[in-house]
Formats: sequence, C-alpha cells, structure tokens
Amino acid sequence: MKRRSFIKHLGLGVGGPIILNGLGLSALAKSRLFASIADDTDRVLVLIQLNGGNDGLSTLVPLDQYDNLVTVRGNILIDEDDLLPLTGTLGLHPKLGGLKELFDQGKMGIVQNVGYPNQNRSHFRSVDIWTSGSPANEYWTTGWVGRYLDQQYPGYPDGYPNTDNPDPFAITMGYLVSETCQGTASNFAITLSDPFTLNNLAEWNTDEYAGTQFGEELAFVRESIQLTNLYSVRIHAAANNGNSLVEYPSTDLASQLKNIALLISGGLKTKIYTVSLGGFDTHSDQTVEDHPKQGKHSELLETLSGAIKAFQDDLVALGVEDRVMGMTFSEFGRQIRSNGSFGTDHGTAAPLILFGACMGNIILGDNPVIAEDVSVQEGVAMQYDFRDVYGSVLMDWFEMPKSQVKNILYEGFQHIPITTCVPPDATKERPFGSPIELKNFPNPFSSSTTIRFSSAGENIRLSVFNGIGHELTVLAQGKYDAGVHEVNFETGDLSSGNYYIHLKTESGSKTEKMIKAR
Amino acid sequence: MNAQATTVVTTLNPYTGPWTFEQAAHLLRRTMYGPSYQQIKSAVDNGMYFTLGSLFEELPLPAPPVNGYYTEDPNVPVGETWVEAVYTNVTEETSYRFRSLTAWTVALMWEEGVHIREKLTLFWHNHFPNASVEDPKFQYRYIATLRNRAWGNFRDLTKEITIDPAMLIYLNGNQNKKEAPNENYGRELLELFTIGKGPLAGPGDYTHYNEQDVQQFARVLSGWRDFGFTNESPDGTFGSFFNPDRHDDGVKNLSFHFNNEVITNMNEQEYTHLIDIVFQQPEVARFICRKLYRWFLFHEIDANIEASIIEPMAQILIANDYEIKPALLALLASEHFYDVQFKGLLIKNPYDHLLSVLKTFDVQVSTPLDQKQDSLYRIWQLTKSLQLSYFTVPEVAGWQAYYREPLYYRNWLNSSTLPLRLDYSDEAVSSGLSAYQGNGEDMLVDVLKILGTLDAPDDPNSVVDELVLIMFPKPISPERKTALKEILIPGLPDFEWTVEYLDYANDPTNPDYYIPVDTKLRALVRAMISMPDFFLS
Repeated sequence: MKRRSFIKHLGLGVGGPIILNGLGLSALAKSRLFASIADDTDRVLVLIQLNGGNDGLSTLVPLDQYDNLVTVRGNILIDEDDLLPLTGTLGLHPKLGGLKELFDQGKMGIVQNVGYPNQNRSHFRSVDIWTSGSPANEYWTTGWVGRYLDQQYPGYPDGYPNTDNPDPFAITMGYLVSETCQGTASNFAITLSDPFTLNNLAEWNTDEYAGTQFGEELAFVRESIQLTNLYSVRIHAAANNGNSLVEYPSTDLASQLKNIALLISGGLKTKIYTVSLGGFDTHSDQTVEDHPKQGKHSELLETLSGAIKAFQDDLVALGVEDRVMGMTFSEFGRQIRSNGSFGTDHGTAAPLILFGACMGNIILGDNPVIAEDVSVQEGVAMQYDFRDVYGSVLMDWFEMPKSQVKNILYEGFQHIPITTCVPPDATKERPFGSPIELKNFPNPFSSSTTIRFSSAGENIRLSVFNGIGHELTVLAQGKYDAGVHEVNFETGDLSSGNYYIHLKTESGSKTEKMIKAR
Repeated sequence: MNAQATTVVTTLNPYTGPWTFEQAAHLLRRTMYGPSYQQIKSAVDNGMYFTLGSLFEELPLPAPPVNGYYTEDPNVPVGETWVEAVYTNVTEETSYRFRSLTAWTVALMWEEGVHIREKLTLFWHNHFPNASVEDPKFQYRYIATLRNRAWGNFRDLTKEITIDPAMLIYLNGNQNKKEAPNENYGRELLELFTIGKGPLAGPGDYTHYNEQDVQQFARVLSGWRDFGFTNESPDGTFGSFFNPDRHDDGVKNLSFHFNNEVITNMNEQEYTHLIDIVFQQPEVARFICRKLYRWFLFHEIDANIEASIIEPMAQILIANDYEIKPALLALLASEHFYDVQFKGLLIKNPYDHLLSVLKTFDVQVSTPLDQKQDSLYRIWQLTKSLQLSYFTVPEVAGWQAYYREPLYYRNWLNSSTLPLRLDYSDEAVSSGLSAYQGNGEDMLVDVLKILGTLDAPDDPNSVVDELVLIMFPKPISPERKTALKEILIPGLPDFEWTVEYLDYANDPTNPDYYIPVDTKLRALVRAMISMPDFFLS
C-alpha cells in the first residue's frame, strides 16, 4: 500500500519533524479549507443498517397470505385489523405509522424479497456479504460504497482532503466505521458522534519507519489523527451553519439522523451517511405473549419509523428534500415459522425500505407465498438480488454508468426502477415490469417437471432454490429469443418439499413456488 | 531500522536468540496490561523461561467483589461479598453490585502482577461473549468460570459455558425446547465457539458442518433452563438445571462432517457427549489456535503461518487433550513470537491503552473502599466509551478488532474513539482522571516517581531514551528525540536539565525544585502519549 505523505500533498513546507497543537498543519489547513463551504446540489444517500436480521414478515405483512401466516407464526402474528394497509394486499406493522404517512405522500418505496443466492445464515458472514456486495461464496474486503468512491476518488486517502474535496466522503454516525465504505486503501467513512466537537489533536511525523509494516501502523494512527482534525473543522463549521427545524423523537437513531440533517443543511458535501439500529436478532420475545403488537420488534420499528419520519419532515422544512434518499438493509430476514420463544430464527430474504422525495410509492416485487406446511428452517424466497438494488441506487441516484456498476458489483447486474427521479440517460432496454410468464407443470411433481418462461429477446437466468435460500441449479442462462420457452427440470435425489423457481430478466424478476411430492 | 518484512519463515521452535529488554518487553506487553519498567527489567534478569513460568504461575481465584458503599442491603454489609446473596431490592442492589463487579474487574487487571491470566480472561470473554444479562450474580459466575479455566482445558470450558446460566440467557439456550427448538446457541457453538465456519461448500454446508447439524445441535441442547435471575426469593439460589420434559429425547443424526454420528437420548449428559464429538475434529484445535495467535501476536495468518505455526500449535493442543497452556507456551517461547517484524504491529485495545498510562506511571488509587471502587468504576466507564468493556461485548462474534477484516485492530481507532483516547490519557497525565462522581482522589500520573526509576535521570538525552524504551515498541528518529528533548529543556543546553534535576534530587520536597522538574517532565510525557507509537504494542 502506497502512502504518500499527507503533509507534502498540502504543499506545506514542514521543516521540523514535529507539529504540535494549534501550530503548523492544523492552523494552516484550516484557513485554506474553511472558505469553501457552500450550498450545492450534491446528492446524499443515507443507509440505515438494521443489525441482527429484521423480520420482514412482521414489518410488511402479505395480507393475501394471512390465513397461512396464522398457521405458521400465529403466536407472534399481529391482528389483521391492526395492520396499516398500504395496498389491498400489503399491510405495515402498526408501529410504522410514520412510514405509512410517507408512503401516502409518495415518499417511501419498498422492494420485496431482497436477498442473495446461497443465503448465509451467520450474522457475521451475512453482514460481510451485504456490506461488501460480494457473492455468497467469495470474500471481498472492500465495501460496495467503498468501491464506488474508489472509482470516483482513486488513491484516497493520499491527497485528501483537498480544496475540491474538503469534506469526508462518507460519515458513519457512532463509534465504528461502516464496512460498506471500506475502499481499497482505506475506509472512506469517518465516524462522528458529536458534530459540535472541534478536534485539535497533536500531529507527529513518523516518517523514519516509512516502508516497513510498523511504519504502516504508525502511518495509520497518524493519518487518522490528521483526518480527524481536518474533517472536524469542516464538520464543526457545517454543524454551526446548519439547522434543524422539527422535533425528533428522543432516540439515538433520531438524534443521529437529526445530526445528518444539520450537516446537510449546513453545506457539508458528504455523499454517504450510515447509521445503524441494533436489536433485530429477535430469537425470543420478539412479541409479548398474547400481545403481538408489543415487544422488542415493535419498539424497534417504532424507533425506526419515528426517526425516519422526523428526518424526512426536517429535510422538507430545510428545503433539501430533493437531495436526499435513504435505504434500510439488514443481513437477512427471519424464518417463516416463528419459534416457541415468541421469536424467529435466522432466515433469508426480506423487504428493503427506501425513503425520500424521489421514492414515489413504488412497491416492487410479489408478495411472498406462505405455505401452511412450510418446513422449520424455511425463509422467504429471494426475488431481487440485493446487488441489483445497490446498483440501481448507484445508477439512478449517483448517475453511475451501468458498465461501471457491473464492474463494482457483478456481471449479472440488472437495473430495477427503485426511484422516480431517473437521470435522462439511464438506459432502459425495455419497460420494467412487463408481464413475465413463469410456471411449472406438473406441480406438485415427483421426479421431473417442465418450467415455462417468457423472454423478450433478452438475457435471462432461470434457477432453482431450496427453502433456505440456496441456489441448487441454473436451468437456463443467456440470451433467449422473444417468446415462451420450456426447460425440463430433473429433480434427481432432491428430497420432497418446497422449492422455488427464480427467473431474472432485464425487465424484472419473478419467483414461483413448486412442490416436490413424496 | 529498515526492517523490511523478512522472507525467512520463523517457526514454533524455541527462541534461542538474545534475551534483552526488547524481547522481555514484547513478551510482557503482549501478555499483561501496561507492564512497568521495573517488571520488564526483572524479566530481562530472570530470563525467558523463568518469566514464562511466572506468567503461568498457578493462582487461586481472586477473592470475590465486595459491597463498597451501599448500606441498605440487609444481607450484605459493606465490605462483604454479594456474589451469592439474596436480593431484597433488585433495582438498587443490582446497581451497586454491578459497580462493584466492574470495579473489581478493572482492579484485577491493574493489580495482575507478572501474570497472563487477565489477558486470557478477556480473551475468553471475547471468545464466549456476554452482554445485557443484567444480574451481577450471573455475570460474576460467568466471568469466574472463564478466569478459572484461563489456560485450562478448552473442552471443559466449552462444556461449562454451554450450560452457564448467563450464556443460557444471552443466546436463548433457556428457551430451546423440544416443541420449539431455538437454534441460536447451537449455531454459534459451531460457528464461533468450536469448529468455526469454513467456506460455503454447498447448499447449507459450511465445510466443517452444515444446516442439518445446526438443527440437530439445537435438539441435543434442548431442555436447559436458568433459574433465580434477579430473584428475590428467600433462598437466593440461582444457576441452571435440566428439565427432561423440555428435552427432545428423539434420535439425533449429525451430518457426515461428524461421521454421521447418531445420538440417542442421554438427557442431561447429552450436551457433554455432543461437545466430545465436536472436539474429535482437529479443526477445533486449529480454530482456537488462530484466535490465540490473533490475540497475542498478529492478525495476519497466511499459508506459511498456517502451516508452520497454527498446525503445530494445534497438534500440541490435541496431544495435550485440549489443555491451552502447552500450546500457548509454545507460541510465547517460539522464535516466531520474537521475530522482530511483529513488534509494534498491534494497536492496543482500550484497557491496554489506558492501563499502559496508569500502570506504567504508577498512578495511585484512593484506598478507602468506596473511593477505590468509584475510581476503578470510572476506568470501566472510560473503556466503555472507547468501545471495550467487560460485560458489554457488542456482538456474539466478539469485538471487531479481533475478527473483522481488513482493519482488525485498526477498528479500535476512528474519528470518534481517537479523540477520546487522547483526551483520557492526556487527562491522566495533565490533571488526573476523576473518580466516578468525584468520589476519590484524581488519578494522576506521578512523573517524578518514574524519574526515580531511570538509570540516568540527570541526563536529558538519557531521560528521553529511557522513556521511549518504557513507552514505545521501537526507537524513534534522532529528529523526534531532539524535538522531545526540546520540551524538557526548551532552547537550553543539556547541562541545564542536569542542574535542575540535581537541585531537585538533593532537596526533593522543595517546591522551588520539584515543581519545575515535574512540569517539564509532565509536558514530555504528554507529548509522548500523543505520538502514534504509544498506540502500538
């Protein structure tokens, strides 16, 4: 890893080896950088990580599956009458009233059944996958946002901050940097707990160990101190320059979002903010016995909804609403069946919530199908690959060309229309959401079944998943002529039970359940 | 000085090179919190094997924590321990007991002596995490179990922790029953505590185990319950028990990863049988050896280190029936451990950082029981802000510094924690860290005391050199030394320090002499704790 001297880049002649508090670099750098805070129209993305694996089926309830939900998770299921209807077939958890209001205002969207093939049910590993944007079987050490920023600002942190880019590219609210923002050479995020703190830490040169591994560690500490000081000046100024015009709930999440609103309105040019809300690993006491509206999950969703609603209202009041979009994510959904502890265990896909002025009230994806005989470990089948959501954010929000998106995410990337604000040059091969035909017959089947699917003369991928989210086989892949096609699926020694056919095309994705009988 | 990463692969063979301050300091800094100058010098004199003997000396468990100040507990007078005592007012009593417990934990690190047990206790706390189980009696029992087996038998420790009441609560083992299996603990037992998760090898298959095993483990482990949590009942007992009615007594079939082992009902003995089966896999030994390596030496484990260090360590562990001590001793006595390229690469964790200020500079804590407790409790609070503290492990995988790629130890430092670390250590040197609620003397570094331990306190060059030796993992450049000496004697010739020092040495209680020396020296130490070198071990 090459680390050019940070001090050299700023062009400051530093004679002695030592720069102490208030002298030298900090003071000079401050005066150079201070002038350029200004309003602009840069877009901001706020990522809210729901740590622990959010139970999607309690967050967004498929009303058309309600009867079977009673069978498989009756002990934690909220009464149908208490749910907040979004559409005729979807209801939000009663504590998500704030989000419901945003939806009604056209400022919230949902992508259902987001996950990835070969779901890993370890928190640890799945968080790595979600933050890196890697395939489930590969270990990537950079984050998806980090790779995006690497493309835009190669070489970081060498030469940053500078007059063109005086502000941190990404900020994690709290005490641990987000892996999402890990770049090749360094993490693009700085952490922030209190924007009103002005840091002025002593800075020392440790060049005598340059080129050694020990020198690398020294340089890491030294650069962390320097960046903390420099960015602190900018953040402090933006916080004092900024404003917040609405009442927020008194939760940590809300105060973190409030600080973000403050910094955006204060002119900070940070592109990415990450916050997190922990506690979603609800193996037990997700709800209170006989009171499914109460319990840990309710409290968490109330916190989430209240904070997002206040934040969005604040952005409107501050006149910066058009510049900001937000998105939640969580390492996995939970199993369809609840357990006996009024909780749920690690599952598979789940809905992902988007908010902001450009979110319309888009709902993408089909309601998950709940079978009354669903096996114990089964999760919600994936319909949309999380990387397609990420890539679509990069394309539509940060105007990244599709070819670059494929480079930093995966070759199979498909754009999905997550927002109503689309850059004019966003390429759409075909209107998204055109009807896709996907079915199999016979169904149920014993040893083989035929799968019929449609193509509009496009690239497709047709594969079979099992109930815990593993992609068992790919039946068809590549460019298929316009029309209807059929492939045969020989089930071989697969055990009986529920399976899912997943068809991904350039104009959308579809998942259908099929049953292998005994 | 330019120690480019050497291509010579060092091995687990015993270290036979020179035994100087450098090697002794490396050993003690990695196995203790903030060893003092004197402790390191003694280790030099005593030699490597004697020092290792001290580090692993058999000790009884420390006396349990006591009530420091709370006069309303009818069952526990001030000065007596509460670890088995009944609750009469849970809110008040858990509050004072938790303060006592955390203070006691900090005291054990502070007063550890030349001994490895405290670093190993935190190692196990990282390995078998616990958080949010807010009954100090449960928390004490849990941490005592870890400390008791610090370098003992890993298999036995795993068995004890599996049915430890705090662990049963933390990972929902207490809710795992026949009709409603809760797989939380069983999954982590495999993934994080014993055999570890390998690469995805197939649907639901993690190389060393698969989803079938997760399900079967949950069944084997079903039926265990904790009792007595924050219980006000008159007998005050607490612990765990086996309820056969909640236990799945059917046949369990493990996967081919465990030789398709079939487990028929063994009731309360079934979990020990299961753990015995798991520990037959040599991967368990490799898994824990990698964690020990990352804890004591460095995070990077490449194919060479896997072959030349981890595998032989694992073989020692297996040959010794999973006793930790022989394998760990082999690492700490190996030529690999003293390989110069590993020195200074480990960013100190928050306890290590704060205690290497407080202990190295012999900070004194007020002695009245309540004040001592409130002083130590403040240290616990500070390390909590720095993101490492006992009983609040953030994730079931432990602290990110010990597992999260690619940053590893670098996870400790960022623009939130860095200013705090610098603030706290600076406060300890400049004005003193205040005790909790101000109850106790401020904890202030005694720079004159350290001066008294130096070999040549009258020579400013020597003072700087020796402090570098005491505080930093490696020497610093002549330019930085000059800059530091400039703090000691701004713009003056060396002999002026000698004059000032001798005046003070001849009349140490005269404020005209000791104040200027103290002020200059304090400024020097303040500068040094703000240098990146001080963050490294």
